[in-house]
Amino acid sequence: MDKKITRPHTRRLVQLYAALLYNANLKGFIDGHIYSGNLKAVCVPGFNCYSCPGAIASCPLGSLQNALNAAGHTAPWYVMGILALFGVILGRTICGWICPLGLIQELLHRIPTRKIRKSRITRMLSWLKYVFLVVFVVAIPLIWGVGKGVILPGFCKYICPAGTFEGAVGLLQNPANATSFYQLGALFTNKWVIMIVIGLACIFCYRSFCRFICPLGAIYGFFNRFALTGVKVNPDCCNGCGLCVMKCEMDVKHVGDHECISCGKCVSACAQGAISLKCGKITLLGPETGKNADPEPEIRKRKKAGRVAWGIAIAVLLFAVAWFNFIEPAIDRSNVPAAAVTEQPAQAGTPAGTETETVVPETEAGTQEAASGPEEKSEPAAASADLTVGTEIGNLLPDFSTELLSGETFRLSDCRGRVVIINFWGTTCAPCVAELPYYEQLKVQYPDVEILAIHNRAGAKKAQAFLEDKGWDHLDFALDSKEKGLLPLLNAADAMPQTIILDRQGVVVYNAQAPLTYEKLEVLYKQALEH
Amino acid sequence: MTRNKLFMTVQAVLCAVIAALLAAGALSLYLDGATKQAEGDLFYYMFTRERAGAKLLPVLPLLFCAVGLTIAGVILGIRDENADKPVKDEKLLRNLGSVRERAVHQQTDQKTLTLRTAVLVIALVLIVIGIINGGLEDVLAKGAAICTECVGLG
Repeated sequence: MDKKITRPHTRRLVQLYAALLYNANLKGFIDGHIYSGNLKAVCVPGFNCYSCPGAIASCPLGSLQNALNAAGHTAPWYVMGILALFGVILGRTICGWICPLGLIQELLHRIPTRKIRKSRITRMLSWLKYVFLVVFVVAIPLIWGVGKGVILPGFCKYICPAGTFEGAVGLLQNPANATSFYQLGALFTNKWVIMIVIGLACIFCYRSFCRFICPLGAIYGFFNRFALTGVKVNPDCCNGCGLCVMKCEMDVKHVGDHECISCGKCVSACAQGAISLKCGKITLLGPETGKNADPEPEIRKRKKAGRVAWGIAIAVLLFAVAWFNFIEPAIDRSNVPAAAVTEQPAQAGTPAGTETETVVPETEAGTQEAASGPEEKSEPAAASADLTVGTEIGNLLPDFSTELLSGETFRLSDCRGRVVIINFWGTTCAPCVAELPYYEQLKVQYPDVEILAIHNRAGAKKAQAFLEDKGWDHLDFALDSKEKGLLPLLNAADAMPQTIILDRQGVVVYNAQAPLTYEKLEVLYKQALEH
Repeated sequence: MTRNKLFMTVQAVLCAVIAALLAAGALSLYLDGATKQAEGDLFYYMFTRERAGAKLLPVLPLLFCAVGLTIAGVILGIRDENADKPVKDEKLLRNLGSVRERAVHQQTDQKTLTLRTAVLVIALVLIVIGIINGGLEDVLAKGAAICTECVGLG
């Protein structure tokens, strides 16, 4: 039996490696932007929020909820196929070896306190994750998405601690996303408390989230019995002593069942050498030939193969880090399309609203440096001549033009003398879709306001079909694309919704990533009008 | 009480206190904000960097203390010794007799191989169909931009 391979630190290294590989976009943690390149069309096998600044690919569970939400117009075959592929190849080995959330839970469990051991109660609780799967991952997105046309990823929105920790906290910790704080409220408080409770539970009870809540583990559990990779028992060596189950910290009834995460603890616990971790016929961990030691050449061969595998894995990680941080610019924020700009280019590289208070409440409106006198309002071009061009409060927004879905052309400079509201939205963003009717209502109430709703470049093709039956006829809609480059030009953040409000001189008076209610929107409009 | 038990009790209490403070801090910010908003202040923000920082600050010393204790505990080899002992709950382990039978079944069942191959083929077919019907673009659209509501921001 190859004792060295069964040492637990091998698995810890693999877990750490997977967490790093999933989050290879390290510069995201520095600049506060998420990676938005094409690899986001692919899901990673483990639980890793796609809104984490470091994430290079999508979360399978979030994607599944989104796909079920959109099942009314696009069948969710792709995500189901991805999950089935991961499941049949790896099963719950994913949970034990390549899930970053599993790693975090295990590290929390390392904190030296008294531990709650598995029992009949924990075994009963382990069925809870199927309830979470059915209710929050399947039923809520399906019922709300297909039945009511409302985007509602139930698990992501109400439960997911990975979303709170990696996505929300990951973004909020960066000063570049200071305006994201403004939208925090009941939802964040709820998710924060859930995350804290789950974290605390993991300290005392091994992998609490994994065992009792994780719907992704529940899905992979369906495949565990016939997955290519997993812990297998050699029936010729097994004497049925049950030490494997007694030593296991998960709620397994037998080795390799739907609760087994193939962590390998049973491999080292088995005195008969009957258990090994296998991928097909290849033995990854543990003995190949029972309690009798494997032949020396076989051990040497496996060690050599292990070294080669680690060499390749490290090369892949280094390549990924180099690629995502230095080579591939998903959104080049310094690339302002010359064709679109008719004035000076915007200050590139500075996320909107990072250095100044972005909201202009009634009391603060008069203190803005960019405030103009009555005579200046009649000559907006002259008033704006000395202002800095940029996207922050008090800056003159760079002029741009874009083709609208109606076929007309929108040019910002043509709107001088009127208040302009620019909204960044996406069909996959529930708060964005929820607030668009308020903009429509504002336009109906105040026809002089100019409202441009720009759809995020990703999924822009489907936006047109989405808008057909909405009846938002008073708004100007535009679709962004890599060629148009509106988002980088206007320094829009990755987080939606984002709204920029300009006064009649084209000066930015509001710029924040936060959904607005009609009341807030009306107040902001009136303030911009009086600015 | 032995040294190990005392250490683990202190550590457990510390973890619980930190968790309670973190949860209470967020709740108090929310309740303050909700009160202000109910009074009609539309633009009162419940959470700001400054307010969140002020709530986190008193927790930091405790957090450092817990981290320090954890490192010390790992170095000293302090751990719950019961955690490594086999679980011996008769009702929990009543199915153990069938472990070997299940293993034999698992290894010899040709159906497993057939099922595995069938699911693999179905998965690949689903992926191809999904790419054709636009499912891949949907995943990209969702993943390439942050949906603030989905991560719990609001």
